[in-house]
Amino acid sequence: MELELKRLTVELGGKEILHSLDCRVEDGCFLSLLGPSGCGKSTLLKTVAGILPQSGGEVWMGGRCVDDLPPHRRGAVIVFQDMRLFPHLTAEENVAFPLKMRGVSRQERRRRALELLERVQLGGLGGRRPHQLSGGQQQRVALARALAAQPNLLLLDEPFSGLDEELRGQMRDLVRRLHDETGCTTLLVTHDREEARVLSDRILRMEAGRLLPPEPGA
Amino acid sequence: MRRKRGRLARLVLAAAAVTIVFPLALTALWSVSSTWEWPSLLPGGFSLRGYEAVFAAYQRMPALLASSAGISLAVAALSTLAGLMAGRAIALYRFPGRKLLLFGTMLPILVPSTVFGMGAHVLLIRAGLAGTVRGVVLVQTVCALPYTVNMLSDLTAAQGCGLEEQAQVLGCPPLRAFREVSLPGLLPGICASMSMAYIISYSQYFLTLLIGGGRVKTLSTVMVPFLGGGDRTVASAYAVTFLLSVLAVYLIFEGLIRHLTGRRGEDVWNWS
Amino acid sequence: MLRPLQRRKLRRRLAPYLLSLPAAALVILFLAGLVSGLVQSFGYIPAFGLREWTLKYYRAVFADGALAASVRLSLWISAASTVLSAVLGTVLCAALVRMQGRNGAALQIVRVPIQVPHTVAALFTLSIFSQSGLLSRILERAGALAAQGGFPNLISGPSGGGILLAYVWKEAPFVAYFVLALMQSVSRRLDEAAATLGASPVRTFFSVTLPLSAPAILRASLIIFAFSFGAYELPFLLGATSPKALPVQAYIEYINPDLKHRPYAMALNGVILLLTLALAAAFFAVTERTAKKLGGGHEA
Repeated sequence: MELELKRLTVELGGKEILHSLDCRVEDGCFLSLLGPSGCGKSTLLKTVAGILPQSGGEVWMGGRCVDDLPPHRRGAVIVFQDMRLFPHLTAEENVAFPLKMRGVSRQERRRRALELLERVQLGGLGGRRPHQLSGGQQQRVALARALAAQPNLLLLDEPFSGLDEELRGQMRDLVRRLHDETGCTTLLVTHDREEARVLSDRILRMEAGRLLPPEPGA
Repeated sequence: MRRKRGRLARLVLAAAAVTIVFPLALTALWSVSSTWEWPSLLPGGFSLRGYEAVFAAYQRMPALLASSAGISLAVAALSTLAGLMAGRAIALYRFPGRKLLLFGTMLPILVPSTVFGMGAHVLLIRAGLAGTVRGVVLVQTVCALPYTVNMLSDLTAAQGCGLEEQAQVLGCPPLRAFREVSLPGLLPGICASMSMAYIISYSQYFLTLLIGGGRVKTLSTVMVPFLGGGDRTVASAYAVTFLLSVLAVYLIFEGLIRHLTGRRGEDVWNWS
Repeated sequence: MLRPLQRRKLRRRLAPYLLSLPAAALVILFLAGLVSGLVQSFGYIPAFGLREWTLKYYRAVFADGALAASVRLSLWISAASTVLSAVLGTVLCAALVRMQGRNGAALQIVRVPIQVPHTVAALFTLSIFSQSGLLSRILERAGALAAQGGFPNLISGPSGGGILLAYVWKEAPFVAYFVLALMQSVSRRLDEAAATLGASPVRTFFSVTLPLSAPAILRASLIIFAFSFGAYELPFLLGATSPKALPVQAYIEYINPDLKHRPYAMALNGVILLLTLALAAAFFAVTERTAKKLGGGHEA
């Protein structure tokens, strides 16, 4: 689904974090948001998803303004840096969670969750609790769970920062592969220039709450 | 050097254990003695007359235990609910009046319930709550509130709202998100809070006496005249009965907590 | 008709207030009780036909020898029991921290006095320290005592010794428990660092652990001072005929059938209120300072 930001301004604790952002992301695009820590990238994701209400401007998805939609109805799924797997549920139940929210039957939920776990190469680990999984495995569960929600927009907030170099490479390949398979519009927030270059169709740079004009030849 | 220090610590803990356990053991012993005249160091004989007095028909002990437990459960539930909600506001939101709320909810620990009780009594009389169970539950809930707010706001803050945010973007409406992903993590703390509020309420004497006006009887109010009285056997029997009835409920809550966490819930008790 | 975005923002803004309603209602009831008592202490009790605001009842409290003695007694009991409980409680806490990992049983035992009501603690004190109690019997058997009367009257004597003992038995474990989490975390983080810098365990305790645990010890002390100053149960069961502790005296005046005694009761409560409010202010000051030092607060 296509995403458009119109003069988006966000305030937090009395301070303006994002200053009148304008941006258009085509359907199916893999966009990287590149910028130093503290420039407001995570705030932008949360506002797009509807967790943080903006103080000015509009968020449009699929050609309509979604400001009146609460986060659970927008279909913009965030995969957070700290993964936020539900500790009291198994990996499989975590992945099945969005399906449960949509009223899918238990049997069907289970089937789809297991299928998704296979896709992220975690087949057989569905019965484990999050604390019994390694960092890389948790990351995959988080991804599978996001996909289970069949999002209109997939927002990844520095998802690889806690992983070692080799795992980062594997996860990057996985994310790119999933994007190609699903065609889901994806926004990746990162401070790693190389990662952005390798993964995305487009790169947008951000600094101090503002989007910078695209680099020539990017 | 290290081993020497460990010995000192062990000594301190042993001394503390003896100081704590000895009076309990002494009281248990006294409760089953028939007479224990001065200056004997051991009881003159053993009998259950103390307990017979406690459970004598005219005391209606089973009904008394049940109503005391009922009052305390009500207080535990109400104060925990109020504490959970206020704790969430304090932990997860920044709003004008937050400090005031924090200060206000802590006040009943620092300002004695005697001052509160004697001042509020006339208000409760006018509201028709004096001498009623409702009135007693209300004032006891006020006293338990600081403990539940403190504990539950700490636990809510530790949990944060991150999981709920995640649940929401995955398609879960806000109230359901609390129920599905936050509540399970808070359950051990909720049990601990209820256990604490229960004990505070069950042990209450002055407020129950004042606000209950003699018409609301709990084990605590019935017991006190005997505790200061001359027959130490009966007094001890009351004390043992009281402690066992508290212990029973405490163990039930502990069992619940253990079942919920799958391991010892020690951390849930550390609040300050 | 509000725009949807404004509606969402309004709901966010209202949420904490709605959540706080039950607790706030209870706090308001508490404050109403305090205010009602204060108003009565200034002599304004229209129901009894007293309509003049006056300070005479407070003046009476301090002029009357017996009432002033009550104030002094309560101050003595609270101060002494707080200091003793704070010291013993801190020592107990240090021992628990030192035996970290092997202190499971000790922790359970230390928790017991916190869950025993003050009224039962009074019975314990009577059983051991009264003139017919265990200690006096031991002394008699040992030949040090001839008759019951020879044993010092710790209980209903004017020193308030029995009350003190009972409070310390209850409050030292409370202090230990209150301070435990903080002392554990301080110890965990800094003990090794101090040792590598050449400090002996004792030195570490007094120079590092204790000062950093001080705020929690202070807050616990403020709580138990305020509590012991205004609590009824222990001085009622273990106190002398005279002077009586403040709360006991206040209640006696309160239930006096001659309603003219009511404002005296409220004035005594007013004295308790004044002192405990001062302690509450100190408590909050300490809490605020500690929060600032630790960089407290998290993002909304």
